[in-house]
Amino acid sequence: MRKYIYLIIGALCLASAVYANESQIWGEMRIQNILGYGQEESWKLGPLFTMLQSQYFAWIFLGVLLGVPAVFFMHYKIVGPKVFPHSEKKYYAFNLYNRIIHQVAAVSFLVIVPTGFIIVFGDFFGGGTLVRMAKNLHGIFTIPFTIVVIPMALMWLKEALFNLDDVKWFLILGGYLSKEKQIIHASQFNAGQKMWYWVAILGGITMIFSGAFMFFLDFKMEMLHNLTGMSQIDLLRAAAILHNVMGFAVVALFITHVYMSMFAIKGAVHSIITGYVEEEEVKFLHNKWYKKLKDQGKF
Amino acid sequence: MSNEMARMKFYCDDHRCIECFACSVACAEAHELPTGISRRKVITLHDGVEGKEVSTSIACMHCTDAPCEQVCPVDCFYIREDGIVLHDKDKCIGCGYCLYACPFGAPQFPRDGAFGHKGAMDKCTMCAGGPLETNSEKERHLYGQNRIAEGKVPMCAAVCSTNALLVGDAESVSNIYRKRVAGRGQRS
Amino acid sequence: MTQQFGDAVNAKVIMMIGANSAVANPIGFKHFLQAKDRNGTKLIVVDPIYTRSAAKADLYLRIRSGTDIAFVYGMLHIIFKNGWEDKEFIETRSYAMDQIRAEAAKWTPELTSDVTGIPVDQIIQATTLFAKNTPSAIAWSLGITQHSVGSSNTRILPILQIALGNMGKKGGGLYIIRGHDNVQGATDMGNLADTLSGYYGLDDNAWKYFATSWGVDYEWLKGRFFEKKWMNEKGYSLAKWYQGVLQEEKTYSSAPIRAVWIQGTGITSMSQQAKIKEALDKVDLVVIAEPFVNEAAVLTSRKDNIYILPVGTQFESEGTVTATNRSAQWRSKVVEPLYESKSDEEVMFAFAKKFGFYDQFVQGMKMDVKDGKVVQVKNDFKWPDDAVREIARTIKSIGLSGWTPERLRSHQENWHMFDPVTLEGKGPMKGQYYGLPWPCWDDKHPGSPILYRRDVPVAEGGMGFRNRFGLEHNGVSQLADKSVTVAGSKIEGGYPQLTKENIEKVLGITLTEAEKAQMGGSWAMDFSGLIQQKAREAGVCVYGNAKARTIVWEFPDPVPLHREPIHSPRWDLVQKFPTYDDQPKNFRVETKFKSEQQKQDWSKEFPIMLVSMRVVNLSGAGMLERTSKYLSAITPEMFANIHPDLALKHGIRDRDMMWIHAPHGTKIKVKAYHNHSVTADRICLPYNFAGVFQGADLSANYPEGTKPYAIGESSNTITNYGFDVITQISEFNAGLCRVEKA
Repeated sequence: MRKYIYLIIGALCLASAVYANESQIWGEMRIQNILGYGQEESWKLGPLFTMLQSQYFAWIFLGVLLGVPAVFFMHYKIVGPKVFPHSEKKYYAFNLYNRIIHQVAAVSFLVIVPTGFIIVFGDFFGGGTLVRMAKNLHGIFTIPFTIVVIPMALMWLKEALFNLDDVKWFLILGGYLSKEKQIIHASQFNAGQKMWYWVAILGGITMIFSGAFMFFLDFKMEMLHNLTGMSQIDLLRAAAILHNVMGFAVVALFITHVYMSMFAIKGAVHSIITGYVEEEEVKFLHNKWYKKLKDQGKF
Repeated sequence: MSNEMARMKFYCDDHRCIECFACSVACAEAHELPTGISRRKVITLHDGVEGKEVSTSIACMHCTDAPCEQVCPVDCFYIREDGIVLHDKDKCIGCGYCLYACPFGAPQFPRDGAFGHKGAMDKCTMCAGGPLETNSEKERHLYGQNRIAEGKVPMCAAVCSTNALLVGDAESVSNIYRKRVAGRGQRS
Repeated sequence: MTQQFGDAVNAKVIMMIGANSAVANPIGFKHFLQAKDRNGTKLIVVDPIYTRSAAKADLYLRIRSGTDIAFVYGMLHIIFKNGWEDKEFIETRSYAMDQIRAEAAKWTPELTSDVTGIPVDQIIQATTLFAKNTPSAIAWSLGITQHSVGSSNTRILPILQIALGNMGKKGGGLYIIRGHDNVQGATDMGNLADTLSGYYGLDDNAWKYFATSWGVDYEWLKGRFFEKKWMNEKGYSLAKWYQGVLQEEKTYSSAPIRAVWIQGTGITSMSQQAKIKEALDKVDLVVIAEPFVNEAAVLTSRKDNIYILPVGTQFESEGTVTATNRSAQWRSKVVEPLYESKSDEEVMFAFAKKFGFYDQFVQGMKMDVKDGKVVQVKNDFKWPDDAVREIARTIKSIGLSGWTPERLRSHQENWHMFDPVTLEGKGPMKGQYYGLPWPCWDDKHPGSPILYRRDVPVAEGGMGFRNRFGLEHNGVSQLADKSVTVAGSKIEGGYPQLTKENIEKVLGITLTEAEKAQMGGSWAMDFSGLIQQKAREAGVCVYGNAKARTIVWEFPDPVPLHREPIHSPRWDLVQKFPTYDDQPKNFRVETKFKSEQQKQDWSKEFPIMLVSMRVVNLSGAGMLERTSKYLSAITPEMFANIHPDLALKHGIRDRDMMWIHAPHGTKIKVKAYHNHSVTADRICLPYNFAGVFQGADLSANYPEGTKPYAIGESSNTITNYGFDVITQISEFNAGLCRVEKA
């Protein structure tokens, strides 16, 4: 694990060194007399951050914001939604606790993601009060998410572990490219949901920490400092880079999650509201789980 | 002298800087900054290590292609014709990106109320105020004195006890520095 | 200071010893840095700690504190051995250098290295650089003076400069750097216990001279004393005044001290803080007249009979101050004293009125010289002009005669007409140096930016050495050699100081009867100004042209000797170089030397050297600066610099609190800053804090709303016992201590 961390950090440094060599500001010409601000013996991630933030981040976010829905729009038009009858037998799959936890997280995301976009495209919104408010909401709504993220992780952990079936699921992309209702061999959560689980939980926690770093600026992290040898300012830069990169993934999967539950599988969203899942839906999309429930006589 | 407008620059000669703090204290006093906001910082590296100790004074260096200006998500920075990098506090959201981009740690963030929430960024203006009406009450309140508009030298350089901190158009600053380096060599 | 700061640019080498002007006098230090940049001047710094000044040095020598004399003898040893001394200068302008040479012969580089802790090769390197690149200059400050051997320290360095012929030259000389605003002026005005203004001393002649100038009756002055004999006796010094209250050591006084009036001084920046506290608690009355709450008011736990009078700052008063280079500067009043505060002189006038001597107090300002006599010329006076005139009329000893208010004002109003490096005036100010650095012999004299220059006529600021100690000693003439003629002088070679008695003979003139009647007894006490007038005509300096004596026969050590500090880390050297015998009486109190030093091997229990320092943002006890939030933020707490190796040996981590214990039983609790500027055998702490005493927070003692932003222990609580044998300044810089994790 450590090896990979070093590998990644090494790659980042290399990239920043290459960039630094070409720039007037970061090159020898300009900073003749200033080692500056605890930067000695640190990673000097500033140039990397500057390059990414000034040239890539906003465009990638725009790509995600427009691209992912565009793909799904095409999917909706070409493949169309899967419709399952909602009058058949139901199974009570999500208890009140599950639903409250999920809803808290859902509401948090519904605020955090759009406000995040407002910040990213802050110049489009002209800065000032609106964007400042977005920034503050972005931070404030992290608090409820922070509270529920661990319970959520624990309550679905068992179901979210990957297995061999998930490989098959990925090979046919869960059958979503076909108009036919196929029997998909999946447990309570299919591979796509599992992927979202991990991105939401691990990515979410990463976002919380990197976000807290950025929000408080003088957040002291002795342990990280000792572990990485990075100065405070470089930890901040790493946090900002991480927050953005992880942001792409979280946002992309968040949109997917919303699309799946609201559009791709008509009415699927009700199951997390009422707690009941439809037999048909389970039978086709989560066949392994269906069999298990059947054996237990739940249907 | 070229036709091009001179670009204003700071330079701190670390052979001269003795960490007397005059620049940072005068700056804080002149612009009535809250404590904890250091538009100009004086630092000593390798404190007490023989032959390695270096003191210098850092503030916004008013970079030509300022990284802060490049990364700002709300585009609140603007660079004057004379090269002074300024920003609009009414636009700024206090996100901290300029700080991450800055090689000098120049941007400062006042703690603005509860929960460690940060207010609009504050930094050295080279005593040139901000985008508001020159020498208006509001400009003074948000950005401090506008000495440049009055034809005065920035506060920090004006009080430097050893003339370590130089300010002016890049050419004159580097001329002074070159002369000093040549002088030092005389007897070595 | 024999030079002015701008002259540093002419030096090829500058050696700073016991001075850290990067911190204590940044503007002065600029000139040294400028010299490096403009002239390639090399900077040598000799200091027990690696200071901010040392960081700018070309060569840094880490000396053990209190061994400066040994170090300089080590240099002299090498100089004499290699024949690098200025033989002609020694021969013609100095006296008794052979005795110095004999002492220097003992100080081989090896012995010097053993005593000072400086490696042999560095001693040789520094000496070579300094001696072979003349003109070279020396800068010193409180690291030299504040020692039990401080007075010898201040003699050995000029001796080195005399040996190298560095005196009276551009680029040479001595930079004796004052630490605060107007310290030079305060000293010149005799704010001391052992002399009247202008270093006139306390004998009857001096009193009578001042009585004349002040327009008061000598008998009346005499009547102000309990007995006549106290008139000629030194008072208590600031360093040991508390013994006048406590009387633990033998004191000499008509009665114990019962009231203290503190005005314009931080008595808490003196050593033996615990004793000062005791004394402040014990006296009947404490009055503090200051712009800021003096820490003395906070240190004492007395609840009654303590008064704080608000006095204006320098911005609320007008007058002159004297800079470290002997230049005067006029200072204008910017605002009237704010709120209920009053200016210093108003407070003193009110005091005099209350005690019934106001008329005599201000009489001097109504007097002037008419036909050679001091007479009352008006019924009222104008402050501060008439006070400055009184000074000019009276203080001839150091040549303040030319400092008229008109001239000093015009200098201040015409800054732009003076060269900032050479101080030379331009345009209408041509022919004057900025601030008329003393001696400024008369109102036509330009001032003397560099002392003892004989290549410049007296009327343009030249002079020889002063003839102060008689015409001969042990049969050797004290006058300068025949070859040492000051430029433009009618007299070839040396000549004595001028008196009414010898002036005709020395200058080869004849005085008229009228002149004889008007003329004072000697040049320093001649209100008529005739002696100066005749001297000017002859191109002669009134104080003579003599040899510089290198021995002081009135002192316990005629030849300066290395003596170990009272509390020395080297018990072996204490036996070899013991301090002085105990002093039964200096100023008004006895002082322990040998008995304290040899009571026990102090280094066993207190193995760590204690060195004091200053921080750039605070001065004195810091009572003024610590009321500024910006200045306080730089050093928000009292600390000690300690080497990590030493600290960790005692289990003290960076930023841990620690106790520092002193041999006399006091202790302070401060934060330990791990720092490499000190070695593991010494710690170093600033003396600029107050408000905490031996671990107890004194916040409650501040009058409401006056507590500064930063308070802390004063290092002076643990400054070791020890005083100079002549000046009685405290031994601030060489002591011992022990540390302990708090």
